[in-house]
Amino acid sequence: MDFHLSEGQQLLVSTARDFLQRHCPPTVMAESVASERGFSAALWKEISVLGWPSLLIPVEYGGSGGTMVDVILLLEEMGRACFPSPYVPSAVVATSLLAGAAGPARRERLLPAMASGERICVLAITEESASIDEAALGLMGEPGSRLDGRKLFVNDAHVADDLIVVTRGASGANLLLLDARQPGLAVLPMEAMAGDRPCEVVFAGVEVGDDDLLGEAGRAWDYIGPALRAGALARAAEMVGCAQRILELCVDHARGRRQFGRPLGSFQAVQHACADLLRDVETARYLVYAAAWKMEQGREHEADVAMAKAYAGRTSQAVARRAHQLLGAISFCEEHSLHLYHKRILAAGLDFGDSSHHLETVASSMGLV
Amino acid sequence: MNFEFSPDEQAFAHEVRAFLVTHRPETFAVDGMDAGYGSGAHSRPFLRALADQGWLTMTWPRSFGGQARSLMYTLVLFEELAAAAAPFGPLAGCNQTAEGIIQYGSEALRREVLPRIGRGEATFWQGFSEPEAGSDLLSLKTEAARRGDEYVIRGHKIWSSHAGIADYGLVLARTNPAARRSQGLSMFVVDNATAGLDIRPIRSLTGEVYHYEVFLDEVRVPAEFLLGKEGEGFTQLLRGLDTDRFWGRFYKAPMLRRILSELVRYANATHRGGVPLARDPGIRRRLATLATEVEAVRLLFYRVAWMIREGMPTPYETALVKVMADETGQAVAALGMEMLGLYGPLTQDSRWAKLNGLIQHVYQTSLGQTIAGGTSEILRSTVATRGLGLPAEARA
Repeated sequence: MDFHLSEGQQLLVSTARDFLQRHCPPTVMAESVASERGFSAALWKEISVLGWPSLLIPVEYGGSGGTMVDVILLLEEMGRACFPSPYVPSAVVATSLLAGAAGPARRERLLPAMASGERICVLAITEESASIDEAALGLMGEPGSRLDGRKLFVNDAHVADDLIVVTRGASGANLLLLDARQPGLAVLPMEAMAGDRPCEVVFAGVEVGDDDLLGEAGRAWDYIGPALRAGALARAAEMVGCAQRILELCVDHARGRRQFGRPLGSFQAVQHACADLLRDVETARYLVYAAAWKMEQGREHEADVAMAKAYAGRTSQAVARRAHQLLGAISFCEEHSLHLYHKRILAAGLDFGDSSHHLETVASSMGLV
Repeated sequence: MNFEFSPDEQAFAHEVRAFLVTHRPETFAVDGMDAGYGSGAHSRPFLRALADQGWLTMTWPRSFGGQARSLMYTLVLFEELAAAAAPFGPLAGCNQTAEGIIQYGSEALRREVLPRIGRGEATFWQGFSEPEAGSDLLSLKTEAARRGDEYVIRGHKIWSSHAGIADYGLVLARTNPAARRSQGLSMFVVDNATAGLDIRPIRSLTGEVYHYEVFLDEVRVPAEFLLGKEGEGFTQLLRGLDTDRFWGRFYKAPMLRRILSELVRYANATHRGGVPLARDPGIRRRLATLATEVEAVRLLFYRVAWMIREGMPTPYETALVKVMADETGQAVAALGMEMLGLYGPLTQDSRWAKLNGLIQHVYQTSLGQTIAGGTSEILRSTVATRGLGLPAEARA
């Protein structure tokens, strides 16, 4: 039993916190979120220099050979700053998929460019059913055919260079690796309330080459499963970071603001609300850490990830809602950053499986028939 | 980062499991109520059986006849015993008292009490609360006055668990009436056989006796049975309460896991409208949610244990996890009652009872747990002030 972070992990966390505090204060964060792209291309370049997108990429492909625990510690810090970037879709999910499913030539072509942040790759899986279950897959597609149809809720497809598209084929589900700028392929924004940048990806007679298949035909879910779990856990860590920052905002407010001649934080109603926020943040954090550790150790971790994602989603939302109450009227203003944290939490909670999806995984793991 | 017990600790877990096969918990006579914390009923024969394994002294220093094992072994022991529903009710109290006596006790106290603890022949009650001193414990009125080689204690304690069937009490009394609230308190070890003690049972809402009230009328205690020094009572109390909140609750997580698995079994085997209850999406989701909360509680307890082992202060962590453990327990019990429906209230004495009446017992006992050992209100204030640095509430 050891809850310590290693020296390397401590350094990663302090570097990330320091960098994000200096380069992504709330004003910059809000501007980036409101921009057309939804994040700062300049900061994406800078974090690439720091090696962040390369954490899950093997050293031989220009990566830094980090682990899942490193990734979730970093994402906690990104969440704390509400840092907007295509990090999870590209550097966690697509990277995990490519590392698992791509052959040497493709790895050589894509991974070094993704490690240096020059290429962004995202997974297109969800359709109108808004489900990530294999049974919900409708889009038909095989190597050497044409794609007609659409994917929805594809985060950051508007900045992607490559798309990994999940399709239904003759022998099961396929993964197709497509150039995002291919003729017939259009990316349309879905206009969400901020939080994520979900896109609609339309395929109108998009040609799929014989060598566009990623991994073996019909076996997409073998590769997708681990990548989705990594994505779910990454977003859980991001939510924990968001909730941690919200807690800090509430505590600062409760200490500093005076009403009736005393600090707000000396009122029991406020104290107890803050105590519950701390409970929610700490419990979610250790569920995430334990799941990441198991994943890193190669242990069975499906139920742990599901627990962490469902729990972090529920508690972070509760933290955000309670924070609006604790911070009062100012938190209803666009200028205050709470709503951006709150919207990020809402989006992250739904991404890579919402709470009912993950609770069902937990329920099955408990032996419920 | 590592979320597992070490290989040696895991080997010890196997040892405990093997012991539980040869010493089946249900075969031991029970002599005191199971208060639903996860440590089961009070059973002297079972305590002695644990002592025979050397498990009551395993964390003591070698100079006191122990094996100087880390507290992780106690965690493992508690976890395995709770998972097996063993009746080890008094064990945490024995461990904590031994720790206090080893650290602060006089030579005479050590000589008399420690060997008895090691043999599983001494159990303890806490005399802290008084009728007019509950959450506001420092307003307690019980007094102890030094007379020669003795202290004479007069007062009235209440909510003392198992006091009538234990051997010694830890009694907090005021030794300096002139001192400020937290000063001038001292902790005494009081033998239950001492004249002047009147220990009366309080029947609980389950119909069984768990708490007692204790009247102390000129109770004479040898001066050597003062724990530590005069005036150190507050320190002793805080140490005692903090460890009590940890050790008295740690087994909640394995117990709740056991109850959840019973409920899973029940949901799989019970049909409603021709469909297994387990297929009800609402039930599935709520069981999964509670299993997640229990897992979170377990991890927080592990973290506190790790902090204690590393010698780190735990200013708010035990308070936080205690609140969560007890509230999660109440939620598990409430879901269990709902799942059992009309069968829920049936006790183990009913031939129609489901799960041997487990759920109604857990439900009833869980009601007291957010009050005992610091109410959830007091502890949330502790978390807010000591964990988050919020200013203390103004008090009269």
